[in-house]
Amino acid sequence: MKKRARSEADEIIDRADASLLEIIDHVLNKGVMLQGEVILGVAGVDLVYLRLNALLCAADRLLPRRGGS
Amino acid sequence: MIGLYAIARGAPREAVGARGERVRIVARGELEVVCGDPPPPLSEEALRAHEAAVRRIADLSQACLPARFGSCAADEAALSAALAVREAELAEALDQVAGREQMTLRVHGNLPDEPAAGGPGTRYLEARRRSRTLPELGPLRAALSGLIRAERIERHTEADLLASVYHLIDRGSAPAYRQALESTRLDGMHVTFSGPWPAWSFAPELTP
Repeated sequence: MKKRARSEADEIIDRADASLLEIIDHVLNKGVMLQGEVILGVAGVDLVYLRLNALLCAADRLLPRRGGS
Repeated sequence: MIGLYAIARGAPREAVGARGERVRIVARGELEVVCGDPPPPLSEEALRAHEAAVRRIADLSQACLPARFGSCAADEAALSAALAVREAELAEALDQVAGREQMTLRVHGNLPDEPAAGGPGTRYLEARRRSRTLPELGPLRAALSGLIRAERIERHTEADLLASVYHLIDRGSAPAYRQALESTRLDGMHVTFSGPWPAWSFAPELTP
């Protein structure tokens, strides 16, 4: 199960475009997360966290020097 | 198990969740928790669907704090218990985001070296202050001054990616924000932006 989740995370990261990276940053890195009674229930998320900043940096090369989505 | 989409005020009663399900509202004091089916496994489609569902809910709410992908609770009782101790903090966060949305900036480039002034302690404190506030963004803040209601900065350690900056703006002011941003130049840095987003970066992290 763990292995499957990781490969899914890898796959997302490997084919992520700039707009997907923005979604990943907002949806996985931000937002209300209650701890204790409420848990983060999805495996494979840690891997995405680890690589996200580097990818956001790389996304700069996918985007025009100025611009947005 | 129930999945969370958002904590809101004036949440829509008829919104559709990420998997096509009808969302339901669990009220706790003045908080409305927008709930749906349990979170699915991580996938690109699931992330996009969660983002889209939160966006639909946020668009129709007076105030909306998005829930991170994967947030869930065993049942409504567990959810209420988790919220009970955070009610005031969440209500305050809802006040801040009411009628507002978020713009996200990625700041690329390199900061100029600061002239060494004062002793090591002074230099350290000054470096920390600069790191938190990024005074180099002054021209940009000036151009956006009438539009920004709140700002959060996240510094990064990657080469070239200096920081992410999150701005809370009034709903509907994104075109004016974009225009102001596009007409601003920053020495040695360039900025990419996206938005408007629901107020992802203005949701409090609720750690016990």
